[in-house]
Amino acid sequence: MAKNTGSSAFRRVDVDQFSEEKYEEEAVAEDEANGPNETDIQRILNEGRNFDALLHALNTAPLSTKNQLVKERVVQTVLKVLLTFKSNEIDVAVKSLDQPQLDLLMKYIYRGFEYPSDGSSAQLLTWHEKVFSVGGLGCIIRVLTDRKRV
Amino acid sequence: MSTTLQPYLKAVRQTLTAAICVENFSSQVVERHNKPEVEVRTSKELLLTPVTISRNDKEKVLIEGSINSLRISIAIKQADEIEKILCHKFMRFMMMRAENFIILRRKPVEGYDISFLVTNFHTEQMFKHKLVDFIIHFMEEIDKEISEMKLAVNSRARISAEEFLKRF
Repeated sequence: MAKNTGSSAFRRVDVDQFSEEKYEEEAVAEDEANGPNETDIQRILNEGRNFDALLHALNTAPLSTKNQLVKERVVQTVLKVLLTFKSNEIDVAVKSLDQPQLDLLMKYIYRGFEYPSDGSSAQLLTWHEKVFSVGGLGCIIRVLTDRKRV
Repeated sequence: MSTTLQPYLKAVRQTLTAAICVENFSSQVVERHNKPEVEVRTSKELLLTPVTISRNDKEKVLIEGSINSLRISIAIKQADEIEKILCHKFMRFMMMRAENFIILRRKPVEGYDISFLVTNFHTEQMFKHKLVDFIIHFMEEIDKEISEMKLAVNSRARISAEEFLKRF
């Protein structure tokens, strides 16, 4: 037998990578967004302005970066902000957010569920309920389908 | 602790209702094939963001969606050794009869105790809201059944030990 037919490595070649219809994630400009500054957030929280801390975190969310570590760190920061809210403050806060911010908040709530700690899940479930009553099923579907993951 | 049960189930129900929107989609890779994309995972554009809902660090639900299928994995509360064994045996019993369950998966996803796979064919045959109702009902009943089984095991053990020790 000829030597070149001995190996079956040709079976592992991925020919689909050259297909024109292959989906490529949109090459978003990788901006250096590093998310909110933790010391800033801590300072605002210490001043008792929970809602402002939340707004700051939502406005500086690192959506376009591909750096997983940055995203993890930001999730922890936002989780901390979400847990400092009292149950009666949540309602007011949720009502004054607009649609994109609500979607972003819902993304963070779901990410927060991945790191359950003492009592965090109970608080997050309250958040989830309140955001759902304003955002509805559309909010959840946008979290599931958006390619820009938090 | 049990005050989180209802909000937990509500959150799972809402997320399931949103994620169970599946439609028919034939395989892009192999012609004339139709596979559940959440299992095959070859095309990134067909997969939705996987989402977790947790009640505490032991109980959680993972919902992975795609264009034509949905995978729901449940981690059940197992407080001690005997509950672990009971849960494992109970889940195994059901998974061996997965064909009769229709939407049950034969193997649970890594890190969870039981998994369901719902495809567009299932949603065409059955009501979506009823499927969601079934899964929520399942989650509620499982905890009760395992507690009941544990009580039964303990009382049987006590009675048989009593009978045995009466001889001495």
